[in-house]
Amino acid sequence: MSIPPGWHERQIASGIKQSTTMQHSKVARRPAIAKPFQAFFAILALVLALPPTDATAIPAFNRQTGQNCVACHAGGQFPELTPYGRSFKMTGYTIGERAVPISGMAVATFSKVADTTKSDDPAGDFQKNNRVIFATASLLLGGKITDNIGAFAQVTYDPYASQDENGNFHGHSNADNIDIRYADRFISDKRDLIFGFSANNNPSVSDPWNTAAAWMQYVPLPSPTSSRFIDGNAPYPGFGAGGNIAGFTAYAYWNQLLYVELGGYGTSRGLTSFMSGGLDDASTTKLHGINPYWRLALNREWGPHSLMLGTSGMVARVYDDPLDTSDPASTHRFTDLAVDAQYQYLLDPHAVTAQLVYARNRHDYPAALADQPAAFFDASGAPTLANSNSTDTNKVLRGKVSYVYQAKYGGSLGLFKLTGTTNTANQTAGYDATGTLIKTDGAASNLSGNPATRGATLEAFWMPIQYLRVGAQYTAYGRFNGASTNYDGFGRNARDNNTLFLYSWLAY
Amino acid sequence: MKPATLALVVAASALATGCANPERSRDLSNPAVSATTMAQQVCSNCHGMTGTAESPNFPNLAAQTEPYFVAQLSGFRSRARRDPPGFEYMWGLSRSLSDEQIKGLAAYYAGQTPVPQRIEGDSTRFEAGKALFVSGVADKGVPACSTCHGAEGKGNETFPRLAGQHADYLMKQLLVFQRTDERPEGSIMKTVAHDLTAQNIQDVAAYLQAMPSL
Repeated sequence: MSIPPGWHERQIASGIKQSTTMQHSKVARRPAIAKPFQAFFAILALVLALPPTDATAIPAFNRQTGQNCVACHAGGQFPELTPYGRSFKMTGYTIGERAVPISGMAVATFSKVADTTKSDDPAGDFQKNNRVIFATASLLLGGKITDNIGAFAQVTYDPYASQDENGNFHGHSNADNIDIRYADRFISDKRDLIFGFSANNNPSVSDPWNTAAAWMQYVPLPSPTSSRFIDGNAPYPGFGAGGNIAGFTAYAYWNQLLYVELGGYGTSRGLTSFMSGGLDDASTTKLHGINPYWRLALNREWGPHSLMLGTSGMVARVYDDPLDTSDPASTHRFTDLAVDAQYQYLLDPHAVTAQLVYARNRHDYPAALADQPAAFFDASGAPTLANSNSTDTNKVLRGKVSYVYQAKYGGSLGLFKLTGTTNTANQTAGYDATGTLIKTDGAASNLSGNPATRGATLEAFWMPIQYLRVGAQYTAYGRFNGASTNYDGFGRNARDNNTLFLYSWLAY
Repeated sequence: MKPATLALVVAASALATGCANPERSRDLSNPAVSATTMAQQVCSNCHGMTGTAESPNFPNLAAQTEPYFVAQLSGFRSRARRDPPGFEYMWGLSRSLSDEQIKGLAAYYAGQTPVPQRIEGDSTRFEAGKALFVSGVADKGVPACSTCHGAEGKGNETFPRLAGQHADYLMKQLLVFQRTDERPEGSIMKTVAHDLTAQNIQDVAAYLQAMPSL
């Protein structure tokens, strides 16, 4: 037991005191990117000039409860939840008072890939490399609707959603995470039962722990190819069904000890078409029938500590062609099973979180795609490669430890390891019938047909004010697409993909 | 979204908006929500169902004196109390509470039974803390805590109960008093805490957390 050093320095105006230090950033001296950074700093200065004590001028949930981000987000690092934040979510976002339910979010990023020379198309393989870009923006609708109903919904704009034949990017908006809830709580000194229902569009988006597939990766991802090796695009646990589908789940949390959630997901259509709003028919995941999702977690809180041990899973049948759902035999079957654990130590001014997830994903291909001749040939141009698999199994291990001090300065170390079956259908590089080496997926082409990828991400971040987070991630690869060296057949090594990623994330 | 879907969502929302559930509401701006409901549905998230907070980040409220409790919650509501946890956690939650709700919450917590806390520290620390609590520090003019807070640390009117409070919370608040003017209602403590050393603060906080088990 000791007096926490620096605890008291967390003052209302401390964000302003820090505002000058960023202007000495080394990157600002780089002439090629000075201009975007000037704009970045201008925005930063503007934000810092806003009255920091005005609790009514921050995102929707803050307006609703009047509390600072740190009440619900561990160390203020959104979106990771504290025990109270989990309770706020499980009780249907209904704590507080109805307020203007609209918030916005904008992300500027900078990606720099270690080696951009081993490419026959650097301009295409590393779009916007070494440049500050406006990466994404979201409109968030969230908050209390009635005593029992609340919602969280996000529409995201991607300025780099598509590229025309002249190389010009075009923006696009579509529905992002949506979670609409009904919840009630029966509590006395003898028992505590929270139960509710969630209509949502992404399996596990309703989950209150941040080891959930929908939440563990949190920085919005830029689309340009220079960002394809950033941490957010490195292996994370996920569900084969993906997002923008329509789900309904029921959940219960008993005595802050046991959490159970069961639900089913189907295609977003008709009344639930808003779950995939903005996506055209060909881009909308089509599921066969109702596909089960489950979640079980044990929670314990003692002193400043909290620990969760859980498991989750889903079985989904996804049509191979979203435009042809006539034959149930043309579906991929994804069987996902994960075990996860999260530990938190939260005692101002310290916030420590450790997360570990192990996910096993089995992918059964439709008969028409299984046991098919390989698209590539051997080095002599002969069709000797194995036929495609009928089933692939991947295993993802993700661990992360983060620490935040004074809800202002933070860092994290993440480790990732993906292993899986080798499948010639997953090759995106190889020899053609003339024995010539070709590739079809740019700098991420896969010669081995094996997905094995492993590496680590080191991150430092700073929250000068509670609704702005500036972060730097460095992701290093020891293996990529099944190999440490020459994974694409064109001499590209795993470490060539090491990427420096800077982001500035504003939620207002 | 198709017009029919939109209409359905709007209609459902409008219908649902009329449905209040004051017995189990978490609405902090509805004067019809009772203090007991509020304590159970909202306050319990951090302060525990019966006013004993699992996390030392949040103070125990069980058996707190009513006048002190009312003064604090009113201070958060008016933003007069502005220590970091105050503005981070409590300003917003208290901003729309009625006087009646604040009094009701005070009565709810005053009526709860305190739970003995973990004993953390060694006997040397407890002895030093006890000496400070019972006798003060004569050569520095620090008065005995027990003078105002009672021989058993149970508090008295606007002087809060300290027995069984989280040591971490007590230490942080003593620093607030000592170094800032963020708790104007407790300005008397600025004088009292002025000459306390870090060791004094740790000792007395450890002793108070362990009360009444010691």
